[in-house]
Amino acid sequence: MSDLARHERPAGVLSAEGTPALRAVSPAGSRNNRKSLLLPTISVLSVLSVLTLWYLSTERGWVSPVFLPKPGRVLDEGIANLANGQLLTDIWMSTQRVLLGFLLAGAVAIPLGIVMAVWAPAKAAMDPFVSLLRPLPSITWIPLTMLWLGIGEGQKVAIVFMGSWIYILLYTIESTKRVDPLLIRAARNLGASDLHVMLHVILPGALPGIIAGLKVTLAISWSCVLSAEMIAAQNGLGALIWQGKDWGNLALVLVGMLCISIVVLLADKLANMLERLLLPWERHQRT
Amino acid sequence: MASTSPILAARSVTKTFTAGKGHDVVAVDNLSLEIGEGEFVCLLGASGCGESTMLNMFAGFIQPTSGQVLLRDKPITAIEPRCGMIFQSYALFPWKTVRGNVEFGLRMQGLPRAERRDRAAAFIEMVSLRGFEDHYPAELSGGMQQRVTIARLLAADPEVLLMDEPFAALDAMTRQVMQEELLRIHEQSRKTIVFITHSIDEALILSSRLFVMSARPGRIKAVVANDLPTPRHMAVQVSPQYGELKSTVWNLIESEVRRHAVEAT
Repeated sequence: MSDLARHERPAGVLSAEGTPALRAVSPAGSRNNRKSLLLPTISVLSVLSVLTLWYLSTERGWVSPVFLPKPGRVLDEGIANLANGQLLTDIWMSTQRVLLGFLLAGAVAIPLGIVMAVWAPAKAAMDPFVSLLRPLPSITWIPLTMLWLGIGEGQKVAIVFMGSWIYILLYTIESTKRVDPLLIRAARNLGASDLHVMLHVILPGALPGIIAGLKVTLAISWSCVLSAEMIAAQNGLGALIWQGKDWGNLALVLVGMLCISIVVLLADKLANMLERLLLPWERHQRT
Repeated sequence: MASTSPILAARSVTKTFTAGKGHDVVAVDNLSLEIGEGEFVCLLGASGCGESTMLNMFAGFIQPTSGQVLLRDKPITAIEPRCGMIFQSYALFPWKTVRGNVEFGLRMQGLPRAERRDRAAAFIEMVSLRGFEDHYPAELSGGMQQRVTIARLLAADPEVLLMDEPFAALDAMTRQVMQEELLRIHEQSRKTIVFITHSIDEALILSSRLFVMSARPGRIKAVVANDLPTPRHMAVQVSPQYGELKSTVWNLIESEVRRHAVEAT
């Protein structure tokens, strides 16, 4: 949700450091330099101290290996699974399911959301279903999807889809509604037809909000696929973790968890790059 | 201007807004006016005297409750691109560059790309923004943004320019420069301009005629012909003739402002 908060913060509240234009003109002062080094150092130290605590507590036997494996064990387990290709296969399978379900959800929810935002009857028709479906966690769809689709790829994709599309829909409706009506007026005054208003004003106006919604939803899509894989799957990171649990191999569980964090982080970075590419005008926001 | 038929006219226009719970506000009351082709008129009055309502009706954004607004003797019943609006808050498309904004109207008219570029370049030049074609609005100052809106509107080539306090958000010096540029543009294009302001000086410097409006409900209190010599540089602004006209207009407005102030307290 932090991405949403950043997106919606009014320009005037942006700190001087967060403003590219200001940062570019301000000379690289020594105080700025010291500050910019200090904070990353704190982060590194914080990680190192937790790792040390983990190492000491398992090495000295303060914590039984039944509850927490040694860091070295986790490393070995990770390397072994990388070497035999198992880890990469699992990462790829999960990624594939997430991408399919997520893209499908976007392809359905973005157009639907825009229509619902601009055409009240569509919203009236859909609202009851949105209200009913929204509170349902994606795992509640597991029995039905298994009955309908078996336990193959389609079922995993369906779980991701069901867990993701409502959020994309809600973000799309919200950001489409928030497009400045004055801009729509100005466009019409300059001779724009309904189609032109849609293409040149409503879509680009809603795009930043929709992208912010997609970024939040992507992380949700990942949690959907993992729960689906834990319940019924031959491969994927969720299955890997569940195997680790069944075999009493906690190191494998931790390897799986770490992989999930890294993959979702990378996906977020990629999404940020795409966002900058798609929204060139947002890079230049001045305060 | 009296000899030809007016380009814009309001005939007995009343506009009432419902302010909830059957509480109606009369913004404009039985107002009639005529504006000739090529005129530069100012609507002047205390704020809240219905002047923006009038402009929105000329643009076709809203419809009169009774009476008619006419463009070349035809009632304005929908958003009217021939009456182009300059908004106080610019209303530029943030996702389009200066060029993209200025080309917008031409694109809506279906002009081919190359011709669009050329025409846009000419108007960008006209408002002295050459070199800023690829900038986004957020990268420009307020004065520059307002010049982009003027170029955008002129490129779309409407017959009437409606300007709702276009320079109100600018600092005094930028404002003066913009006023001079607008006069130059009016001189060049001979377009009809209807300009809302709350500044008597601005109205005297810009207009050929000014309509003094009464405070709520909006009516025309007086029409004042402004025959000050042009261009209206400093020398004109300190002339006795200027001072006389200013005090005439102030006397017309003062009672309205006071009445309004009393009502507000």
